[in-house]
Amino acid sequence: MTPDDGCISCGMPMRTAQEHAAGDPDKPYCVHCGSESGELKSYDEVLGGFAGFLRRTQGLHEDAARQTAADILATRPAWSAR
Amino acid sequence: MATRREQKAATRQRLLSHAEQLVVRHGFTGTRTLDVARAAGVAHGSVFLHFPSREDLMLTVAAEMGRKMTDRLHALAAGGTGLREALAAHLRCVEEHEDLYHRLLVDGPSLPPEFRTAWLGMQSAVATHVLAAAEVDIGAGTIRSMAPHLLFNTWLRLLHHYLVNRDVFAPGGSVLASHGQELLDHYLTLLTKEIR
Repeated sequence: MTPDDGCISCGMPMRTAQEHAAGDPDKPYCVHCGSESGELKSYDEVLGGFAGFLRRTQGLHEDAARQTAADILATRPAWSAR
Repeated sequence: MATRREQKAATRQRLLSHAEQLVVRHGFTGTRTLDVARAAGVAHGSVFLHFPSREDLMLTVAAEMGRKMTDRLHALAAGGTGLREALAAHLRCVEEHEDLYHRLLVDGPSLPPEFRTAWLGMQSAVATHVLAAAEVDIGAGTIRSMAPHLLFNTWLRLLHHYLVNRDVFAPGGSVLASHGQELLDHYLTLLTKEIR
């Protein structure tokens, strides 16, 4: 992994400590995929959050948003072995 | 002296770079692995040591463009300023990859579903920045409040109309270089609240 690879969970680029979970630059996942205490959220939590984001920001249908989120997460190191 | 691993990474990068140039000329559906191998100066079979299939190579070309574009946007928009600045940064990022972006936009409907997933993922990263900036301006009362997906999709659609038809808007050149500022100004005029 290089810094360019972004969050291992969702792929979001992370350039500042604040963009890492719990503001910890050693965490390889982002503030959205990590809990307040800095743990990686469960797959279902991340999937639900990502699908909701796709619906809200791009207007995707609920089913399409969930499928798209699942397809994107499947390409990320944190979830590719699922 | 480069290690074997470094040589492999360099060859992969060379293949991707030549594939990108060929996609710009021939499209995602018209680019052949044989031509990529010839352009990169490697045996045809070497392509498949780095990419399991032609489709995988094409998907990597698209995904790499998305990664570079969103990473650049992330860096440009890091200041956390208003919508005008975020959209200007977006325009700049698309313009830097305009030829390839145009190809992906035009070829998209005929490509396998994985390409659409990569496309939506890329737009998701763009939406993060555009909508965060819009929220600031909506909060300040300078632009109209509206559903985030309509605000974002309206911008994207405007941009894409000019990109898809760039041969008639800017023959032989960059449509974003010639029309980008006008599109940005127009879009913001539509969103700006009238002061009574």
